[in-house]
Parts: sequence; structure tokens; C-alpha cells
Amino acid sequence: MNEAEGEDKLITLEEAIGKVQDGAHLFWGGFGVQRPPMAFAHELVRQRKRNLTLYTCGSEIDFDILAGAGVAARFEVAYFALEVHGLAPNLRRRAKEGLVEIEDYSNLAMAMRFLGGALGVPFMPIRTMLGTDLVRRYRFRKDKAKVIDCPFTGEKVCLVPSANPEFSVIHVQRADREGNCQIDGIKGEDVEGARAGKKVIVLAEQIVNSEMTRSHPDLTAIPGIYVDHVVECPWGSYPMMVYNCYDYDVEHIRMYVQQCKTEEGWRKYLQEWILDVDYKGFLKKIGVDRMLKLRARPGYGY
Amino acid sequence: MNKESARKNSLRYSPLEMMAICGARAIKDGEMVFAGTGLPMLSAALAQKTHAPRAKAAYEGGFIDPRNVDLAFSVADSRLHYRAAAAIGLIETLGVLLQGGRIDVGFVGAAQIDEYGNINTTLIGDFERPTVRLPGSGGGNDIVSCAKRVVVIMTHDKRKFVKKLDYFTSPGFIDGPGAREREGLKAGGPAVVITDLCQMDFDEKTKRIRLKSVHPGATVQQVLDNVSFDLMVPEQVPTTSPPTEEELAVLRSLDPQGIYLGKAE
Repeated sequence: MNEAEGEDKLITLEEAIGKVQDGAHLFWGGFGVQRPPMAFAHELVRQRKRNLTLYTCGSEIDFDILAGAGVAARFEVAYFALEVHGLAPNLRRRAKEGLVEIEDYSNLAMAMRFLGGALGVPFMPIRTMLGTDLVRRYRFRKDKAKVIDCPFTGEKVCLVPSANPEFSVIHVQRADREGNCQIDGIKGEDVEGARAGKKVIVLAEQIVNSEMTRSHPDLTAIPGIYVDHVVECPWGSYPMMVYNCYDYDVEHIRMYVQQCKTEEGWRKYLQEWILDVDYKGFLKKIGVDRMLKLRARPGYGY
Repeated sequence: MNKESARKNSLRYSPLEMMAICGARAIKDGEMVFAGTGLPMLSAALAQKTHAPRAKAAYEGGFIDPRNVDLAFSVADSRLHYRAAAAIGLIETLGVLLQGGRIDVGFVGAAQIDEYGNINTTLIGDFERPTVRLPGSGGGNDIVSCAKRVVVIMTHDKRKFVKKLDYFTSPGFIDGPGAREREGLKAGGPAVVITDLCQMDFDEKTKRIRLKSVHPGATVQQVLDNVSFDLMVPEQVPTTSPPTEEELAVLRSLDPQGIYLGKAE
């Protein structure tokens, strides 16, 4: 079984984080509980990265960790909370302390900003955000959005600036060493987001032979031509979920939310689950029993 | 919570159950529904299993018409894959379905709402240093801007029904008749606000919020005591029809663990 000819882009998680400089802007993949690059977030914390600006539609515990640890200072985002589990505890504290700034958009607006970035056009028109503080008020992006009369119909439309962050970071089910990625299930805004970044880092549950990807090219969601680095990262979204791989760990999520309500509790979580372990140590800490319990059932995917 | 549990015992259902059932009743058969995490998921499923078998739901992560057998904790939950018609992405659901004008009824929640149905889900307190940072718009602004009809589900509290929003996230009727059109919004805006005390709709002429019905066990005065603006009250205020046995049985089967409906007493 020879690997089909092609560039080998496989690097380690530690190497991937080493490429991200302080102050960098990143598109952040996954949507809510689905496929967040959690392992990438942990390693950003371990390598003490600072002043990142993160772009996404909606993120949950991964963003909360980055806000709590002081890795990210700015977020251009539509949704930042934990749905049924409540508000993001670190974000709530850091926002009150004035240590993080959020530039608020709607989900459609963010997804269109990534599509615009991918297409190489300066802005995209939408028919939402009109008449609200989402167009009127800004925190740090002065040119946040503009309302104009459509030059063709005269109707009011909202223009949002395209986003081309320095990096796009996406967690997928499968990638080959050239970076051809398969994503099972919903793709959130990752198809557009992966194409918006200037450099693309893919984390994959499994590294597969390119025979497999190239025999089903219609299943490639992100072609390797857009991808710079590939990292093998099983269980890399834990405690959140990856369709067809594993379910979320509700117990861990509830523990996180409960414990991180206080700064002391958060410090304890940070030490125990992130700083005291490396990626493999984290996997060990999850433990075989929990992994077997959370492993996706065939026919269900969770 | 004591007041709540007392009401629950005397009525044999909880205020949250009444809210989810009112949400389901707001869905007509054959309609395309856009739902978020929480009670709206239950409302959509309840409607499908009772009076609206041909209604279909979409969830912003990319799921279209799921047939999930397990309750989802998230709009991106793998549970929503089960027998779904499609699993795509945000530009499909928020762009093509919603902005494309294909959603009949959209559900949202609110941390604050004003008398024109404008909604805040972003922050409480100061813009620069909020006392409480809330989730943000998510798809909320997109839903309220684009769905033909919007159902707001929220618990009733004087601090939530306010004269002035701390942040204006999603557009109701803005400042009155013609305002949505003036701002370039195409679709209909909020149709009904469902709380644990009552249902409210909007006066056709003034576009101001108006009491529609009070739930069994609640009073008009109780509603008035829990709003911080002048609520329009019609001369006759009907009582919301109580849940039927069927509605309650189906609803409880959808959330047996009480994730959204609360634990059984």
C-alpha cells in the first residue's frame, strides 16, 4: 500500500501551535458542540499564546477556555455561550473585568464574511442585522457593517466585510497527509471558513491513506490544495462531540460549568485538565471507560 | 420555586409545559419551522406529533427535517442527524432557507424585550463592561429579521419586559408602524410572545405589544405587575386553553428526563 504521491503535511499538535504567533487572527472551526478544535485550544494555552483574535459563528467551552486563560483578547462572533448548559462562565467574568472584547455579528453575517473571504471579494450583502445595534454599535472594528441602498433595486441592504484571518483551524473526521478532508454530518461554516484563512491547519480524528480520499473525491469537503498543515488528533474535540466518532460528555461539561463559576474553580480546571498534562496525558485522563461509553454507535453516529 | 410547584400541583402541569404547548399550537400543519435549543425543539416535535404532522423543522447548524429519537442538547447535536432529510451548513439554513424567505415560523428566546417586540440577547448593563455578557445574536437576529412569523418564548419577569433595551440585538417592530420596511426588513416580525403567565400579540395599528390570553391560574394583574411598560390590555382577556391530555402525554414523552421541562416533582 503505497501512499499516493503528494506532499506530506503531517506535523504534531505542538508544532502546529508553534506556527501561530502572538496577536494572530484565526478562523475557528466547528459549530457549537460539533467538531470544535478543543485540543488546539488546550495547546494554545500550554504554549501561552497571547492576544489572539478569533473569528467564528458560534463556539462554546473551547472559546471559554481561551477567554479564561487570556489567550484570546478579541472575538468576532455571533454566539458565545453553552446553550442548555447556560452562559460561558469565564467569558462572563473576563467581559466584566474588561479583559475581552466582543464584536457582535449575527450567525449569517459571520458565515457570509467567511464566504466573502474565500471568494476574494471585499464584502458580502445580507438582509439581516438591519435596524439594530448590530449595525449601529462597534467595539474595535470601526468598519463593522454598512447599510446602503442596493445599486440595482434601491432596497436597503447590510454589507459586512469579508474575513481573511491569518489562519483557519478546523477539526474534521478524516484527512489524508496531503490535507484532503472529509467531514461527516453538518459542516457549520467550516467549508467557507477553511477557504477564508491565509494558512489552513487541519486537525483530524483519523489520518487516512489518500487511496481512500481519492477514490471518493466527491466526499472531500476541503481539498488539500487549500491546506498547509495536518495534525492527527483523535478525541480532539472532547468533551464536545464529533459525529460518527463520539458523543459529548455531559458530565464533564456540567462539571466544567459548575466549577468555572469561580476564578478558583477555573484555575483548578486549567491546572488539572490543561497545564498538568500534554495532549496524550489529556487522553489518558479521559480514560478508556469513558471513551468506550462515549464512542459513537453505528447507525446513530453519537 | 414554591409558587411554581404549588401551581404545578394544582394544575397537574408546569408553566414550562404550558409554554412548550403554546409554542406547538403556534405552528400550523405544513409549515416550515426554524427552532433553537430548548423549549422550541419540544414545540416543533409536539406539533408534528399532534396537529401538524406535515410541519418540518430546520436547525441552524445545517439540519433539515430531522426525525431524531433522542432529545438534542444543541442545534448542532449529532442527535439531529437521525433520519434527517439533509445535513448541510449555516449558509444553507440561515441564508437559503431563512433569508431566502422559506421559513414560515421562527422561534427565539429573549433576555429583554420592549413594547415593540425588539429583543436583547447580547448583554445586560454597560456596553463596554457588561454586568452580564449574554450569548449574543447567534442566529436570533437572522430569524427575527427573516421568518414570516416569529414566536418569542421567555419567562415572565419585570426586568425582562423593559422600556429600553440594554442592547438592541433583534428587530421587532422597532419604533412602530412602517419601521421594519423603512430599515429594509422584508418579513413579518414577532407574532406572539409566550411566557409562563400569558400570551401576548401585537396591535395591528400601533405595533405595540398587547395581552392576548392569560394562562389558567394566572391573572391580568399578575401580568401587569411583571412588565415595566404600559401593556395594552383588551377589554376581554380570554384564558389560554389548558393543555389537553394528549398534548401533555406527547410532550412528556419527548423530554422524559426533564432536560427542558424541569424534573418531575
